[in-house]
Amino acid sequence: MDKRLKSLYQSVILEHNKSPLNFEKKEAASYQLKAYNSMCGDKYQLYFDVVEDRITNVYFHGYGCAISKAATSILTKHLDQKTFEEAQQICHLYLKHLQTDVLSEEEMIEEFEAFSAAQHFPGRAQCASLSWVETLGFLEERLKSES
Amino acid sequence: MTKVKFLKSEFPIFQHYPDLVYLDSAATTQKPRVVIDGIQRFYEMENANIHRGLYDLAAKTTERYELVRCKIADFIGANSAKEIIYTSGTTASINLVARSFVAPQLKAGDEVLISAMEHHANLIPWQMICQQKDAKLSIIPFLEDGSLDLAAFQQMLDSKVKFLAIVHISNTFGTVNPIAEMIRLAHEKDIPVLIDAAQSIANYRLHVKNLDADFLVFSGHKIYGPTGIGVLYGKEEYLQQMQPINFGGDMIRNVTFEATSFADVPQKFEAGTTNIAGVIGLGYAVDFVKTLDQVVLQNHLNSLLQNTTSALKKIEGLQIVGTAKQKSAICSFVLDNVHPHDVATFLATENIAVRAGNHCTQPALETLGTGATTRASFGIYNTLEDVEKLATAVQQIKDFFG
Repeated sequence: MDKRLKSLYQSVILEHNKSPLNFEKKEAASYQLKAYNSMCGDKYQLYFDVVEDRITNVYFHGYGCAISKAATSILTKHLDQKTFEEAQQICHLYLKHLQTDVLSEEEMIEEFEAFSAAQHFPGRAQCASLSWVETLGFLEERLKSES
Repeated sequence: MTKVKFLKSEFPIFQHYPDLVYLDSAATTQKPRVVIDGIQRFYEMENANIHRGLYDLAAKTTERYELVRCKIADFIGANSAKEIIYTSGTTASINLVARSFVAPQLKAGDEVLISAMEHHANLIPWQMICQQKDAKLSIIPFLEDGSLDLAAFQQMLDSKVKFLAIVHISNTFGTVNPIAEMIRLAHEKDIPVLIDAAQSIANYRLHVKNLDADFLVFSGHKIYGPTGIGVLYGKEEYLQQMQPINFGGDMIRNVTFEATSFADVPQKFEAGTTNIAGVIGLGYAVDFVKTLDQVVLQNHLNSLLQNTTSALKKIEGLQIVGTAKQKSAICSFVLDNVHPHDVATFLATENIAVRAGNHCTQPALETLGTGATTRASFGIYNTLEDVEKLATAVQQIKDFFG
């Protein structure tokens, strides 16, 4: 198998694609976001339960490629139980890693590593960033409205 | 007449990329040397603006530009070159008809009829004018196999319907719609018809007069020609009625600061300096397609489709999307638990170029309950070897994702 391809479809992505975490419809959640890529049709609904400024539950549901699905699954794992500010920081780290691939050792979260390969495939970088960019926008808005 | 199997060598891209398996001709076709050389020659030796210059170069270019119009008229069986309008492509052609022919006649409560398998280009222009005029956009449904529901179509043809716009070949399912029959039925109710021939122009000989099509549209880049050039065919009486929607140079008869009178068809629709090199290139593309033996061409494309269908069907968990009896060489499929984009990325590493996504037919795919497919579409340069490579690679993808 092609080496580049292997770097993209690492086991972490394949596992999260096959058995995504928190993959459930939660219509009663405090907030719902839509992460939609009109170019390819990837479409996820993200559900956040929020108590004060803390995310107490994250779920997602929808349809998309292995990369976007795994990236969203990992998002739900890492933002669970985080405050808006902490969550915002994690989103920044993840997106910075995607774009530049230069996180320091302390900054790096192991599961993020797999996704940096996406930027070397035409048209696939946004698969890895789709849900994260939407979530970051949501968090920024919440933080702004609270301040 | 050229035999199809020798044609691959006419396309320089395959000399630069000998391993390229190009299965995305429904998105755009590759260009034969004669088109590429023709455009280069135009810029090197013939470039001048048209309809203006009083010098040899300009006069010759104008002549060539108008000669291509005659060539296209002849190619699609139009009455005269006046019925051929140059546009930037299928999308621009449809927008012109929607805004300039249909919208001015449309009243509240009227209907425009399209099908559920239209490309967004043959949906949104109608949706927009219907919204503006408080008219209704009615959608002919399709059956499970991706063929049009003709019984429903006949029932929908009532006196409220003022226009029918229908795709000849679905870019997603490959379905070939029975346009001759549909035009006949629509005309029984005095409903004018536009045929979106984007996917059929390269592979089917269309004769607008025999079909009695009122409008027919296509793009140059899907008939082995350049991008940015397309055609609107319209019956002359309709074109005469239509007002231009773009205003500027070259489309006028007389201009004062107070008023302007427009040129005759087709010039009144071609404001500004048009894509002259595109027209010249399209002329070479039409010449090229005319040299292809229709029987050989159809047999070749049909054998590519049949072989692809039977090879892919053997793969467990793969479903072909679009299985109508009348199909062109377009094969969409979905693979259980593997998203089309993952399929396409895998194929890309094997030098196999396909399209994955919604193919600009979002509502059609949502009707089927899927957001996206992988689509292999064929051109005259494809071979059975390409089909084998595709099938082998798809099987590997299936094995990899398990």
